[in-house]
Amino acid sequence: MKKVVIIIILSFSTSIRVFSQDKVDQCLECHEAIGDQPSTLFKNDIHQTKGITCSDCHGGDSTSDDMEKAMSKTSGFIGVPKGDNVSKVCTNCHSNAQIMVKRYNSALPWNQGDLLAQSVHGRLSISGKERIVKCTTCHNTHGIVSVKDPSSPIYPVNLPKTCAKCHSDAKYMRTYNPALPVDQLDKYRTSEHGILNAKGDAKVAECASCHGSHEIRSAKDVKSKVYAINLPRTCSTCHSNPNYMRGYKIPSDQFEKYSNSVHGKLLLEKNDFNAPACNDCHGNHSATPPGVESISKVCGTCHALNSELFASSPHKKAFDQRRLPECETCHGNHEIITATDKLLGVQNGAVCKWCHGDKPESKAFQTAKFMRELRDSLVSEDKNALLLINEAEQKGIEISDAKFKLRDAKQALFESRTMVHSFDRSKFQEVIDKGLNVTSTVSEDASNAIEDYFFRRWGLGVSSLIITIVAISLYLYIRKIERRQKSTV
Amino acid sequence: MNEKERESKRLFLKSILYGSLTALSAAILYPIFKFLKPPQQTEVEVSSIKAANVNDLEKDSGIIVRFGNKPAILIRNANGDFKAFSATCTHLDCTVQYRKDKGIIWCACHNGQYDLNGRNIGGPPPRPLEEFRVVIKGEEIFISKNV
Amino acid sequence: MKNYIQNLYKWIDERVQLQSLVEFMGKKYVPVHRHSIWYYFGGVSLFLFIIQVVTGILLLMYYKGSEDLAFESIHFIMSKVEFGWLIRSIHSWSANLFILAAMIHMFSVFFGKAYRKPREVTWLTGMLMFFMALAFGFSGYLLPWNELAFFATKVGTDIAGDIPIIGKTILEFLRGGEDVTGATLSRFFGFHVAIFPGIFTVLLTIHLLLVQRQGMSEPLFIEDEEKYEKKKMSFFPNFLLRDLLLWLIVLNILAILAVFFPWELGTKADPFAPAPAGIKPEWYFLFMFQTLKYIPANIWFIEGEIFGIVLFGIAGILWTLVPFWDRKSFRGERNRFINYVGIFVVIYIILLTTLGWLT
Repeated sequence: MKKVVIIIILSFSTSIRVFSQDKVDQCLECHEAIGDQPSTLFKNDIHQTKGITCSDCHGGDSTSDDMEKAMSKTSGFIGVPKGDNVSKVCTNCHSNAQIMVKRYNSALPWNQGDLLAQSVHGRLSISGKERIVKCTTCHNTHGIVSVKDPSSPIYPVNLPKTCAKCHSDAKYMRTYNPALPVDQLDKYRTSEHGILNAKGDAKVAECASCHGSHEIRSAKDVKSKVYAINLPRTCSTCHSNPNYMRGYKIPSDQFEKYSNSVHGKLLLEKNDFNAPACNDCHGNHSATPPGVESISKVCGTCHALNSELFASSPHKKAFDQRRLPECETCHGNHEIITATDKLLGVQNGAVCKWCHGDKPESKAFQTAKFMRELRDSLVSEDKNALLLINEAEQKGIEISDAKFKLRDAKQALFESRTMVHSFDRSKFQEVIDKGLNVTSTVSEDASNAIEDYFFRRWGLGVSSLIITIVAISLYLYIRKIERRQKSTV
Repeated sequence: MNEKERESKRLFLKSILYGSLTALSAAILYPIFKFLKPPQQTEVEVSSIKAANVNDLEKDSGIIVRFGNKPAILIRNANGDFKAFSATCTHLDCTVQYRKDKGIIWCACHNGQYDLNGRNIGGPPPRPLEEFRVVIKGEEIFISKNV
Repeated sequence: MKNYIQNLYKWIDERVQLQSLVEFMGKKYVPVHRHSIWYYFGGVSLFLFIIQVVTGILLLMYYKGSEDLAFESIHFIMSKVEFGWLIRSIHSWSANLFILAAMIHMFSVFFGKAYRKPREVTWLTGMLMFFMALAFGFSGYLLPWNELAFFATKVGTDIAGDIPIIGKTILEFLRGGEDVTGATLSRFFGFHVAIFPGIFTVLLTIHLLLVQRQGMSEPLFIEDEEKYEKKKMSFFPNFLLRDLLLWLIVLNILAILAVFFPWELGTKADPFAPAPAGIKPEWYFLFMFQTLKYIPANIWFIEGEIFGIVLFGIAGILWTLVPFWDRKSFRGERNRFINYVGIFVVIYIILLTTLGWLT
């Protein structure tokens, strides 16, 4: 009877095969009987429910109750796959669209095997015989369940722990990349993401949300999702999705704002790696908004002078008392645009005015006004000097020396912008004066050069006059001697 | 026209001719003599310059010297070795300086920092400083572009 | 005052017989006719050459002929040295006017058939000086070591390198190596301020001595004209003073050009930079440069460029040797063919130069 069934299985379609599934799987039958772990675990395996049998991975004849026969090489038995053969067994089906879609009607992508091979985990392990990670490293071996199942090791809430099995093992990580930190999980647990994750929130970002799953690449790899240029977009996949972010009480326009900011434009448009991405202010694994007092420290990692000056200015104390977020108060956060002179002073649109605008007699109001005036005067003097230089150049006069000197005025302009953050009149004036000195000497040089131009014209006029007189008198002289010659002839 | 008038006319013409000839030679010779007068800066400077004397620089210090149309920085480190770089910050063209307290090359504009090999180690500079060659002949230090 | 000068004259005369020279020049006559105006261009060329020598020597005081310093030293002359801009601009302008004046001089002599016996050697020295002037221009153009000059020199020497058989040798000789480098600059500097002036002076001396000795030639066709009445004027002082008058006017033109159109310096040559668009040689090479552009890549089995160079070479030699193959003029007969050749050459040069200028 059984033989008849096998013949039917071999010669007819899958529907009949499904029918045969109800028949006893001899492998499981025996292995369960001896109570070994793989067979027990496999009972709850998702593959088991889809009708995949032991022999689909291990080979052999699952219909035979004769051990010799069932596990003989002639019936294709391969035993326990070793090394990369494990992944190969999985990809036999998972990388085969025919099988995945047609037979199991699965929506799973069928390039996971390839992605893993190209990923940082797909490199050879220290033994040199297999890849660092195989499918079973993360997905388990016999008790594989869907990623949506809370018992899965790759279920979002469980994933950090799964990754940390290796990544928090300093001794193990040292063998591959001694420079790589091993405290990511600890840091993660301090982040907003990590705290919610620990509470069982499967929506918040875990390792794979940012690093990817099968396709994980080194952060220095240009294709990595966390490569500096790619990072803002990676964060935005969740943070710019209002539906997804609903319930977390934070806005979802940060990416849009960031893209328009001076930082975003530098990073995303000009690919300038010095510009900060999300993680440079919020931290990466420990991502969280910087606290009110620490903002100037965070910005100060790059804008060190401004932050130093601010910290020693009277504003520091005042801001702390009023719980104002330091740099952010004037410059904004995600949408920081290039600071212009408009911010300084007491006119409309100036940020000083927000707090100091109502008391025109106060020292602060006066200082803000004074600084803006000084700054404006340097800007206009610089422009003036440049105009004079251009005029001289247009008149064809060599003036590269003055141009060289004018560099110092440009420098003073830069420095004065920084010096605003001292909110100190005399310090600010010192820088501006330095610039004004330069512009006045340059303007003088340029004016001299322009004068030289007129001197040249005058010189030419005078010499032309002299030449003309000589020419005329020479002409008269020639006439005279020729007349004399004629009369003598 | 009598003889006297003709004589005075001839004299007038002569004096005009000689006078203007003198003026002409003056107009030609003036620029030539001016040209030959040594200018304030007596010689053209450039891709190789004498930057300083060895004794001008203490150990652990730096000076800015003009190198063609750009500034250059000459540094003597604590061991007494000399190094020279372009002094133009790679960030926004400010001029850098030597910071003794930190032992680095530093840009005052945006706190750009370079180590004593010219590598950008902090702040906004995107690139290292261009290094110049330093040659010491006797007491004199020359710097030139690396070719 | 007058006595002093007379005494000085006497003092010199007693020693070197100045009087005989004056008498010789006084007895020398310049023919006067409706084409006399062309006689002045020789003098104008001479004057411009003198200006070249004077301003050239002045520039030498500050110029440095090395790759590192050439550009900077001219920049220095233009910006730091008083009247440096004037001296340099005059040097550049007068170089161009010199070649123009020499060209006019050459064509007037050609059309007047003044090269015929007995003035063959005068013509030869004149032609050699003309080629020398072109060489002066080519070598001087590179000396500021700016971008345009650098690439123009590259192209120019490249073309010289296409000359059959000896091309490569010439190329390496000119460049002082495989490529245009600082070595080329040193070479060109040497040519420009030492070798060329030396040769030129010898040629010029012969040329002037011959002109003085043989006097000015009269065009053949003038003699043929029926109403022609032989008129003449003394070389000294009449012609010489007229010469001086014209020189003054030329000097004034130079000054105006130098002040209103100062010669530009451009940007320093960077051997590794890509060639800028619109590389053109100086205008006096433009017609040849333009011709080479129009010649197809291959003519029969010869490369077009080589064909052009050989063609120009042969034309130049024939032109130079015209006194020896123009037998008709030699015998004092009219030769219309020469006029047609001359007119063709003038029109060709003007046409191609304009085309080169406009494109």
